This record gives sequence, C-alpha cells and structure tokens, in this order.
Amino acid sequence: MIYLSMTLSKISRYVLLAIFNALIVYTIPLALTFESWFFLSLTLVIGILVNVVYFTDRFQPMKWILPGMIFMISFVVFPAIYNTFVSFTNWSTGHILTKAQAISVLEDRVFTPDDQKGLEFEMYILQDQDLKFYYVANLDSDNILFGRAVSDDEIFSTSYATHEPSLFINGEFSIPDGFYQLSGKEQIANSTTLQELSLVIDQNTRAQLYKISVFGASTGRLTSTSQLYTYDELNDVLINNATNSICPVIKDNFECDGNEIEPGWRVYVGGENYRKLFSSQRIRGPLNIVTKWTFQFALLSVIFSFAVGLLLSVILNKDGLKFQRIYRSVFILPYAIPAFVSALVWKGLLNPDYGVINSWLGPLYEILDVEPVKWLKTKESARSAVLLVNTWLGFPYMFLITTGALQSIPKELIEAAKVDGATGLQSFWRITFPLLMVSISPLLIGSFAFNFNNFTLIFLLSGGGPPIVGSEVSVGWTDILISFTYKLAISGGRGNLFGLASSVTIIIFALVLIISAISFRYTKRLERIYGNI
Amino acid sequence: METFKFFNWVKEYGWRHFVALIFVTFAIYPILFVVTNSVADFANLTNSKLIPEGFTLKHFKLLSSDPLVPYFKWLYNTYKVALIAAIFNVFLGTLAAYAFSRLQFKGRRASLLTLVIVQMFPSFLAFVAIYLLFFQISDIAPFMGLGTHFGLILVYLGGSIGFNSWLIKGFMDTISPSLDEAAKVDGATEYQIFRRIIAPLSRPILVVIFVITFIGIYSDFILAAIFLKDKNLWTVAVGINTVFIDDFNADWGVIAASSVIAATPIAVLFIFFQKQITGGLTAGSVKG
Repeated sequence: MIYLSMTLSKISRYVLLAIFNALIVYTIPLALTFESWFFLSLTLVIGILVNVVYFTDRFQPMKWILPGMIFMISFVVFPAIYNTFVSFTNWSTGHILTKAQAISVLEDRVFTPDDQKGLEFEMYILQDQDLKFYYVANLDSDNILFGRAVSDDEIFSTSYATHEPSLFINGEFSIPDGFYQLSGKEQIANSTTLQELSLVIDQNTRAQLYKISVFGASTGRLTSTSQLYTYDELNDVLINNATNSICPVIKDNFECDGNEIEPGWRVYVGGENYRKLFSSQRIRGPLNIVTKWTFQFALLSVIFSFAVGLLLSVILNKDGLKFQRIYRSVFILPYAIPAFVSALVWKGLLNPDYGVINSWLGPLYEILDVEPVKWLKTKESARSAVLLVNTWLGFPYMFLITTGALQSIPKELIEAAKVDGATGLQSFWRITFPLLMVSISPLLIGSFAFNFNNFTLIFLLSGGGPPIVGSEVSVGWTDILISFTYKLAISGGRGNLFGLASSVTIIIFALVLIISAISFRYTKRLERIYGNI
Repeated sequence: METFKFFNWVKEYGWRHFVALIFVTFAIYPILFVVTNSVADFANLTNSKLIPEGFTLKHFKLLSSDPLVPYFKWLYNTYKVALIAAIFNVFLGTLAAYAFSRLQFKGRRASLLTLVIVQMFPSFLAFVAIYLLFFQISDIAPFMGLGTHFGLILVYLGGSIGFNSWLIKGFMDTISPSLDEAAKVDGATEYQIFRRIIAPLSRPILVVIFVITFIGIYSDFILAAIFLKDKNLWTVAVGINTVFIDDFNADWGVIAASSVIAATPIAVLFIFFQKQITGGLTAGSVKG
C-alpha cells in the first residue's frame, strides 16, 4: 500500500512536470517570434529551476520554497530589474515596437498612385446591427461584390469581398437580412467616415466611395494600391514609393523629407531619461515640488494621525472611565473601511459647491466674511484636505498601537515617579512617552513608508490636482512620486512615457531603500536601549 | 458638596468624555452620512441631516438594474480575484514557511534576509514594468495577459508571498519541535509532518494571514486599474471610481449605496479580526 502511494505520488509529480514543461516548450518559440528577450530569459530560468529541483532529490528544502519563490521572482524581483532596463530606453507612445515590428507595420502601408483610379460603378452602403459598414459594388451583372468596408489599418486582416449575385433580383437591389441601407442623406452625414473605408477586392484592388447620390445609388470607384514604403535592409533606409524619397534612420524613427514617420521603435538611450529629469527645467521643477511634497505628506500624515491617536489613547487610558468599549469600537471604524471607499466619500463631502463640509462651514464663512474654500481646487486647500482625510484614515491605527503600548508599560514606574513628586504631565513626557516611543517608532517608520507611496488616497481624493501650470508633463500640487509616475506612464494625456516614468520609479526605489536602511539602524538602536532598561 | 462632586467628576472624567466625543463625531460623521444617504428618499450631498426623511431601498435597486454600471459584476470579480489570490498566497506561503522553520539548509538565513529586503519594496512600485511585462505576455499567452483576471491574480500572488511566509514562519517557530521529532521517530515523512502536525497547528495564523491578504487585494486600486480595461472585468475599486463622477450631478443615493455595499463586508471582517490584524501587523513590522 505504501509502495503504491509512493509510486502514485511519483506519477502525479511526473505528470505535473510534463504539463509544466510542455507549457515552457510552447512559450519559447513564441517569445522568440515576439523578441521578448526578458520574457524568454525569465521562462528559461524558471523552467530550469523547476526541473532541477523536482527531478532530483538533492534540493529537498527548495521543493517547499520554489513555488512561492517563482511568483516572487517573476512579479516582484524581475519587474524591478526590468524597470531599471526600461528606464534606459525611449519606450513611449510612438516608440512601443521593436524596429523589426515597426518596419513590418510601415511595409503594410499602401497608397493609390494617381493614374490608378479607374472604373466607376453603382455602390450601395449598408450597416449591420453593430453599426459596421458594408459595401455592395455592382461592377456589372456578373460581378456583384459584397463585404465589410474597412479602414486602412484593417486592410490586411480582413477577407476579400465575396460575389453575391443573389443581391440583385431582376436587376433590382434587395437588402440582405439583418442589414440596413443608408439613404443618400445618411451617407452625407457619415461621409468623413465613409471616405476612409474601402472594400477589399483582391491584394491590390479596392473599391471606394466616389460620389454620393441623394437619389438612387451612389457611385464607387476602383483603385489600385501599391506598397507605400519598402525597407532597404542593406542601407538601413526606408524608400517612400509615392515620392521616391529615401528616408534615413534618425535615432529611433525613419525620416522622410524632414518628417518623422510614425511609428518609431524603442532603443537604448542611456541616461537620457535621467538627464531629462534633472536638467530639463520644465520637468526638474515639478519633480522637485513632487519630491518635497511626498516627504511632507508622509511625515505630516504620520505626525497628525499619531498625535490624535496618542491623545485619545491617553485620555481613554483611565480606570473607571465609562463607555470605554464604545469609544474604542467607534474609533476603529475609519480604519476598517477600505481606503478607496473613504477617499471617494470624502471627495464628495469636500465638494466646494454641493459638499456638506462647505455647507457646515457656511455660517463661519459669513461671520469671517470670506469666500468659501474651494476644496481640492487650490494648492493649499487640496494639500490640507489630503492631510485631513489621511489623519482620519490613520488615527485609528495609531490609537490601537499606542493603547497596546500604554497598557504594557508597568504601572509601578508611573507610581514611583508620583512618589518622587512628578506631576502627571512630567511623568508622561519623561517616562511614559519615551518608553512608548521604543515600541512605537518602528511602526511610525512603517507608517511613513506606507504613506510615502499612498497612491490610492492621492489618486482617488485629489487626483494629484490642482495642476501645476507650466509643466512639460501632467502633474499637480498634491501628486506624490508614485502618482506622478502613474500620470507619466498611464494617464497623463501626453501619451505613455514608460521610459521616463521608470526612471522616476528608480528614484522611488532609492528613497525607499534609504528609509528602510534608516529604519533598520534605528530599530536596532532602540532594541539596545530597550535591552538596557 | 454636590457641585464639588460634579467638578471633581469633570476634572477626572468629564473632560475625557468631551474630547472623546469630539473625535467620535469626527470618526463617525462621514460614515453615518453615507449610510443614511444610501437609504434616504432625497439623497444629496448638501443635506447635513443625519436622520433621513423617508426610508427607501430604491438606490440599491437602481444599482442592480443599471446596465451601464455593472456593479454586482464588479463585486463578483473582486471576490473572485481576492479569494483565489489569497488562498494560493497562503498555501504557497505556508509551504515556504515550513521549509524555513523546520528544514536545515545552506543559505537559509540569507534567503530569509532576502525575503525581508525584497518586501521593503511594495510590488506595485514597479507597476510600469509589470504593465509592460504583461503587455508582452498578451502576445504570447493572451489568457494571462493584460486585461485578464488570471494575470492580475498572478501579480497579487507575487506581491505579498514573501511577507506572508515570514509571518507564518515566525508562528511555526513557536510550535515545539519535539512534536515533529516524535513523529519522525515513528517514521513520518516530511510531507506527513507538515500535513498532519505543523499545518493544523498553524491554523490561527493562517486564518489571519488569509484575512489580511484578502482585505489587501480587495482594496487594491493601482494594479487593478492598470490591468483591467474591460468594464465587465473591473473590480469594485476600479469601477466605483467611475460611479463617483466629478461634478456629482449623479444620484448621490446610488453612490452612497455602492459605498455601503463595497465597505460593509470588509469592515465587518476587519472588526472581527481587529486584534489579530493589528497584532500580526505589529509583529511583522517589528520584525521586518
């Protein structure tokens, strides 16, 4: 029986390994075709590790650790390395592809030589339920072509038009089921879209809408197309067949007659992104502001929420005080709610026009005779609001940990101080507080590190706004480094500047490293102090 | 005499209640505001009354019937992703923790130290690289590329596994080694010791780690936001952000209802495990 279960586990192990290896083998050629060298190396490393560990019995402990380790390496360690690599490239909108991919995109482009515009014929324009356009081209009674009308981008992925003589019964056009025929007026209304579309008849021939007729059938025209660009591998230039000009490579684009041809491709640019960050005035300025605010935000958030939490725990730390349990459970609530909900709710409450905060403060504004605060719309109000909300989010945690720490401080120490004649405040600042800090300060540093990258709050509450005017990239007064990175890479409205964003990430990595190093040194020092008590 | 007693009470206790009540208001006002607005007939942002006129569930009904806001789909997605990721996270973390706690091997201390150092950097910091990595995976293996729940789960798995194994290892160290030594004498294999002795005894910490991981993934915004583009695949955190449109002309009652549904289960879970969660985090932070 034991023997059987042994072989069973062995068999299942080999079956799992076989499946795993099949996946690896399947991935490698694909990674090669797409030239994802980083992905390829990751696959190979994982593949070799798994096989070595599970086929041999030499690395027993690794059998336990490897599954978790694979995920940690693939999605934490590897991205960090990859991020460094990306920060040395020009990877951004317009430079997403590799050179080979860009060339193949360019070689797919077509143009219509002027002398190739020919035969005219009747054309009918249809639409299906998904509002996609279809053309029917009545070349002659033997050649009735039907198919989807596509834009230039889709030409190579679409199938050719089909012959559908059944669409004409006794010379009269009949609309196929499930389609709607556009009237002349509707064609005019859609003319800009329709002019871009063509019915693909064969490799070089397309039918396009030529003249729209309000009554009866519109006119289509056949056009021949030829390849617009040819790549000359020997000289590494692109030839524009329409103008016969030669387009050389300028860094990461081909350039025809002084114009950059999109798309370009990604190349290694050395330290250019870092140079941009530190020397381009319109990026360096905002980066300075953001970095400074990141530190201020994290530090003030910790100080405020710690102050409130400490105050409350000291106040409630009193024998015989009623309702203690109720207070405690209420104070936990803001911490228990997911931050993404709280941030959005506060955004609503702070709304300058409809929000309840301003309607509360209304009388105060009247007494002081001031304009209502435009919460989140000005630099100062946005920064105060972000700190206010983060204090609300953070004080319960501080309350919980300081309460725990207070209760663990021996009562005798306080009693002894009292006997020696210390007042309540004196014994608090001289004895309770320093002892408290011993156990709390590592947690405060942890909280600082957390808020240093508190993307959710900033992004959902203020969106980093209000914008800093005059910056070359999209950035606001409450943006912290990580939300600044997000705007650069994903949502800044200036395209995806992946390379530049990665270089900001490297700065964050460096700062987090420094914070952690300080935290390690500091906590060790505190442990020594604690050990001496 | 009576007044003296009262002043004495104020000096000893009264002022404490006063300060506490101020902060009770601060803590609870936004929460009550949202809860009452979610069931109020005329919900709006300006209304500072906490007791609504007329109780209604229409906002919740509206939330479930608006085809443009597939809210319950988002909720389902969130639970699905967070549950799967948290289960595997704890499972793989437990395996690794067992090796770190019970097996002697070269490089054990070094690997533990590496774990701690790696976990200093939250995984989402390198989100640009994660985005580009999965952008390329989309070409090779579309089922786990950008825009899929599978890919997102993989990223979440990597994110906290180091920290989790570290915490679990700390707990396993407190289980007396005499137990597994006795089992070893009786001829138990390594796997049997893990399965029958160590894992069951570690259950308390495993539950806590599971809850912490689950809440963490449920509340994640940044990774889900860069990963999921299709509205029907969004998680609540990503979707709810679009319900809260900027000018708030939208029905505030619906917005409040969506907040209540998103927050309540997590808040209940959190309060239930509050002691263990703060305890666990504390232990982790002190060690880490």
